[in-house]
Amino acid sequence: MSDRKDFIAGVDSNAKREPRRVVFVTRRTSAQVRVTDEEVVQTFPEALFRVAIAIEVLAMALVWIALGFNAPLEGLADPSHTPNPAKAPWYFLGLQELLHYFPPTVAGVLAPTLVVIALIVIPYFNINVEAEGVFVKDRPRRLAIFYVVAGALSLFLLLFHVYVALVPTLMIVVPMLAAAYSSAESRSPVRRYLASKPLSFWIMTWFLFELLALTAIGTFFRGPGWSWVWPWRA
Amino acid sequence: MVTSANYFDQLRKSRVWRSIFRSGTGASTLHRSLVIQQDVFLHLFPTKVRRRMLNIGVTWYLGTLTFGTFMILVSTGILLMLYYHPSVPQAYSDTKDLQFVVTSGLFLRNLHRWSAHAMVFLVFAHMFRVFYRGAYRPPREFNWIIGVILLLITLLLSYTGYLLPWDQLAFWAITVGSNIASAVPLIGNKIHFLLLGGNFVNANALLRFYVLHCMILPLAAMVFIAIHFWRIRKDGGLYSHSSQPPAISDRSAPKEDR
Amino acid sequence: MVLGLALESVVEPSKHRRPSLWSQLFGDPIRAFGSLSLLLLLSLAIAPSKDHFSQWRHYQNSYLKMIRGRGDAVTLRRHFQAGIQQIWIPELGVVDRCTTCHVGVKEAGLTDVSLQPFRRHPVMPHDIEQFGCVICHRGQGAATTVEEAHMSTLAWEEPMLPARYLESSCGQCHRAPLTGTPQLNEGRRLMARYGCAHCHTVKLPEGGSLEAEDDAPSLSHIAEKTTREWIYAWVKDPQAYAATARMPNFKLSDEEARDISAFLIANSTPISGDTFSLPTAAQNTPSDPTAGASLYGESFCATCHAVQNAAGNVVGGDIGPELTRIGNKVRPEWLAAWIKNPRVYDPLTAMPHYRFSDAQVAVLTGYLQTKSDSEFLANVHLDPRTPEQVAHGKLLCTEYGCASCHEISGIKKAENFAPELTRIGSKPISQLIFAAGMPHTLPAYISGKLRQPRAFAAGLKMPQYNFTAAQIDAITTALLSLNERAQTLPARLSEPLSPASNYQPAGRAGQLMNDLACFSCHRINGRGSDLAPDLTWEGSVVQGKWLEEFLRNPNTLRPALIRRMPKFNLTADEIATLSDYIMTVYQTPSFDRESMPNSGYPAVLVEEGRQLFYSKYACQSCHIVDPKADKGYIGPTLTEVGSRLNATWVYHWLKDPQALRPGTIEPNRNLTEEDARALTAFLMSQKESARQETRK
Repeated sequence: MSDRKDFIAGVDSNAKREPRRVVFVTRRTSAQVRVTDEEVVQTFPEALFRVAIAIEVLAMALVWIALGFNAPLEGLADPSHTPNPAKAPWYFLGLQELLHYFPPTVAGVLAPTLVVIALIVIPYFNINVEAEGVFVKDRPRRLAIFYVVAGALSLFLLLFHVYVALVPTLMIVVPMLAAAYSSAESRSPVRRYLASKPLSFWIMTWFLFELLALTAIGTFFRGPGWSWVWPWRA
Repeated sequence: MVTSANYFDQLRKSRVWRSIFRSGTGASTLHRSLVIQQDVFLHLFPTKVRRRMLNIGVTWYLGTLTFGTFMILVSTGILLMLYYHPSVPQAYSDTKDLQFVVTSGLFLRNLHRWSAHAMVFLVFAHMFRVFYRGAYRPPREFNWIIGVILLLITLLLSYTGYLLPWDQLAFWAITVGSNIASAVPLIGNKIHFLLLGGNFVNANALLRFYVLHCMILPLAAMVFIAIHFWRIRKDGGLYSHSSQPPAISDRSAPKEDR
Repeated sequence: MVLGLALESVVEPSKHRRPSLWSQLFGDPIRAFGSLSLLLLLSLAIAPSKDHFSQWRHYQNSYLKMIRGRGDAVTLRRHFQAGIQQIWIPELGVVDRCTTCHVGVKEAGLTDVSLQPFRRHPVMPHDIEQFGCVICHRGQGAATTVEEAHMSTLAWEEPMLPARYLESSCGQCHRAPLTGTPQLNEGRRLMARYGCAHCHTVKLPEGGSLEAEDDAPSLSHIAEKTTREWIYAWVKDPQAYAATARMPNFKLSDEEARDISAFLIANSTPISGDTFSLPTAAQNTPSDPTAGASLYGESFCATCHAVQNAAGNVVGGDIGPELTRIGNKVRPEWLAAWIKNPRVYDPLTAMPHYRFSDAQVAVLTGYLQTKSDSEFLANVHLDPRTPEQVAHGKLLCTEYGCASCHEISGIKKAENFAPELTRIGSKPISQLIFAAGMPHTLPAYISGKLRQPRAFAAGLKMPQYNFTAAQIDAITTALLSLNERAQTLPARLSEPLSPASNYQPAGRAGQLMNDLACFSCHRINGRGSDLAPDLTWEGSVVQGKWLEEFLRNPNTLRPALIRRMPKFNLTADEIATLSDYIMTVYQTPSFDRESMPNSGYPAVLVEEGRQLFYSKYACQSCHIVDPKADKGYIGPTLTEVGSRLNATWVYHWLKDPQALRPGTIEPNRNLTEEDARALTAFLMSQKESARQETRK
């Protein structure tokens, strides 16, 4: 996707009467065929056997893990005795970490609901369909919006002392700034790459970083009373 | 070897075999297409795929592997159900008996547990891989939503299964998790009650989670997985518009056949 | 279909000349699929084969190998059952698979095998099939591996009980003392004696709570009794005053001891009425050590009170306080008043109201005053108390829970002052906070708490007791028996402690018996101590005349015993009241006292009885009838038994002693009617008057 876009493919609004796919030739260049028909192979046996092999390798790995490591089991459930800390399954520890900072309505309900909604709307997101760098068009206005949003978010996290979420946020803000001051004409290939990334890429990457950071911290760095512990000192 | 292969050929030509597998013998393109087209399960796949999409680097086979963990989970899960009563405190002693008296019981439980973790991990990995490849773009936007639904089903499957051993780990993880539901404005407590079948994690919750885990959620997952696969075929196979199409504008020579 | 194609491709002639092994096996997807399928199948086969090499199979095979050469191999082989064995008792929640490896538990023939897990179980009062193993030994009965079954794991926090605490398991069901569990009985006795239940609640499964043996002295009138200096020294280190002191050491600082003593003195109120005044005679009579010592001895003070002798041994009973340094403690005027009538100061004291004359009181007071240590209070110098000290002292008394044991006016006994111990024996290890360097087991935790309670953390309140190692083991055993199982036992198995009797005799005799503290030594209708004979059926046992004489001038019945009934200097009126009451009320319903005469038996019958006594039944080995010839010191002396006991009682006693006094050591000789009658006649002929006649 680092290539410069020479044409834009889209679905016509009146698809019933018109052909489904139309190529709009821009004024900048003349039309040019860039992709030939690809080589295809039979699903059976070429694809199916590869699929089977992949699954077998995975199954074998899991079988050996199951042979070597026992699944955890603790004492009989005892409602009168709360373990400290009481941890949720690991994939919810990011949420539990957020619950440490925010009221349950925000961290437990609002945040996951927003995430799910965001995931659902991604394919319908206009900017995303264009697959265009976030700062390519209308740069000054978008830059201003970016500063306001990034600043507000960082300040918000700082105020609530959510440093574990602030760090991944800054890790996204910095390359986004670099992207804002780069363009397709930049010398460095890294900057060209960054400049081409659309907004959805940045949001998703931010989500990925937050997910990894919060889950890792909830899993390894939290001890009794949800206090900070170093796993290697336990 | 040759004779055994001949016997096998004979078998495949037999009436019984042909009555089951109508595609018949032979390595022709027709026969191989028929294998896909005439099988109720395999016809979810396209007859032909782009050779480039078979490379590991393209998809990392993450969707395939997720499906693999699901199959492992279904098969081990069914075996585990043979030894398990969803009642208090029998559930816990059943888990213990799996470890102490059932032949390979501990292995089954281990495999089920680790595969469940692997599945959650792989679902997330699959999602991010699809996103970064841009494979959610039209016309695949609905299949992306099916994927999000499958992600939620996977999380629920894992979460409901977490309670079943009825140990301290299970009990408190579910207590912590279900309390989040109470935070939903206005109807939080109702949701919490509906989820647990009571105000606390108790025998009702165990039964409810058991039914969800062994019946409702796996069926839902199977239906959505079928749709997910079917839609890949209908939406034109695996998404190929990646950053490096083997285009003629590429100066590199065409890749050699494997 | 898929496999068929794999085979098909495997047999296809390879295009390459010399295919490597790798390309043979993994050269194309189909070959790789075939090879990987084989590998996966092999991997899947590991788990079931692991089961074949399980620990319990190994032990069963070793057992079979061990019995092969033995003489009783055939029997043992027949008893042996292969596979996982299990004792299942749903009522108790027992699923014990211990006998899977401990194959020889029930084999009486394996006496010579000391190798575990094949050792046979020692003889025990319960059947394994009815109780399983973990009820007594704890551990995880359902487990089939050595570690899981015996040790503490994340999924099972109750490891095997170390053998030294095994008696605690008996205590889960048996809450009354058993003859086979001395350590448990001792632990329970110590818990009652040291008043654990004053601070810690221990709920009993049958309802109610564990209670302490007695309450600590009331401190409401302490200023009458002792000085602030003594209180200061005492609370600093009770054992320095008396080695056997029950009060624990609170490790108080000088300031804390100063303030507590100030508060207690300031808080004390004078005893009501003017009865509490020093008898005038006492001041005038000079103290006479010899007279005091002999009065102390004659009154059997040592039955209850101990004194440390020159060798450092504490000699005497433990019912009352140790008197080694009593002269340092009490004010002389208080002591005199106390000896005169202890019930004025403490209406509920266990000390009898001796009817001492004023002269005797003075002698005893003077004698006890000499029991002091000149160095004990030499270094205690306290400035006059200030209101701040008093206020701080009150705060300290509340914080340390002094009112849990002592009655202190102005401070209420705190509810749930210390952690409840009802289920201490099944407390999860994850809930315990261990001291550094201590093994993480429940018995270690409990015994550590008893040994050094303050070592676990700063600011803990539990005081320091100085128990011996054996006592700590005993109390730990008793505490371990307080567990979840004891609380949830089916009623069929539970053997509750019979509730403490609150029997109270009526009328004037009842008042008199309280005043004389009869229940401090005797038991009547379940109430009282077992120091002296049970008096529940005393009216059927003895003759009224003898009883009156005995109350007037008690003398010992059993020469081997040193404890004896004190002489209370009772008036004739009091004696008549007591005797009437006992003879009328304390009669057994099982026979009529008057049904046999107490004298007038024919000489032939008496002689026949004498023959039976000396020849057939050889009673003289335990009893004395003729003081010159007989040497039996085990049972009571029978020289005057004819004047003492009722003939009916003697007759029934001879027939079946255990029916009258359960647990008596007198053997049941299954006497015939004739023998019993003859022996009764002989024994009833042993009268004071009769002996005097024969002497003539």
